[in-house]
Amino acid sequence: MFMRFEEYATASMLGEPDSPPRLDGKLFFTNRWERDVFGLALSLAKAGCFEWEDFRQCLIASIARWETMDCANQPRWDYYERFLEALVSVIESSGVLSRAELERVLTARKTASAIAS
Amino acid sequence: MSEIFGFPEDREATSAAKVRALEALLIEKGLIGSDSVDTVLRHFETVAGPFNGAKIVARAWVDPAYRKRLVADTPAAIAELDLPVGMTGAEGEHMAAVANDENVHNLIICTLCSCYPWPVLGLPPYWYKDPVFRARGVREPRAVLREFGVTVPDTKEVKVWDSSAQIRWFVIPERPANTDGMSEEALAALVTPESMMGVALVAAPQP
Repeated sequence: MFMRFEEYATASMLGEPDSPPRLDGKLFFTNRWERDVFGLALSLAKAGCFEWEDFRQCLIASIARWETMDCANQPRWDYYERFLEALVSVIESSGVLSRAELERVLTARKTASAIAS
Repeated sequence: MSEIFGFPEDREATSAAKVRALEALLIEKGLIGSDSVDTVLRHFETVAGPFNGAKIVARAWVDPAYRKRLVADTPAAIAELDLPVGMTGAEGEHMAAVANDENVHNLIICTLCSCYPWPVLGLPPYWYKDPVFRARGVREPRAVLREFGVTVPDTKEVKVWDSSAQIRWFVIPERPANTDGMSEEALAALVTPESMMGVALVAAPQP
């Protein structure tokens, strides 16, 4: 079987704690942003911005943090929320974007979207 | 970063806004291209996935000679079809098809996800790598199949195939009744990944 990066990356998660949701043999996304964040992580790793394995470890850690939250404060399970948190974390730790850049762009848009809604 | 992940009420909209902003900044800085996300996702949506296996099965249903060739020399038969490069398996990693018929039902198990031929079958379901499923699939395949809703009559043999790094098996399921005259494309749309793993039958089309 030939192995493109997309296949290597996804196959490495199968059967592991960070295994992505899937349905009928395909990746399963409930919302557009989930597809986009999956594509962003793959694109950045494919471009050499960080090692895919480093991202996966961030994702596994993010999932573990959710699992150890106490029930009263535990938000509804959302795989791609953990995925986004892990992506931001690996982007920062690998120096792809600075913490200041990340905070600026994420909080600025949050404000913008809050105003828009 | 804790305030960024404070789980506000409008979680979906907030996550969507963050992802949009992140993508915009990454593109602006030249770290990815404007079409990078679509390019990697297109791979899963149009290049590698269960739609390839479904096309192979549909061809085998409409062309008995092709079906024979597919079972006899699977990589060569797959190569006959106009599928993306790489579907036939690399050297030393051979795809092998087994056909269900009135006498035999085939079930595929797989001990390593890296052995799963997902460019043809799609991504395996989460339970596929479960040790209990694999162990029971070998020891009591009829019971496992019943739990999947597939009751195999005692008169029919059940064969279990274990995919490995050398041979990646897939099932040619039986063509459902009342599908005479259907186009190959329409037939392919009936084929599910589970049916190509042998844990489901292909359902007849809804009238």
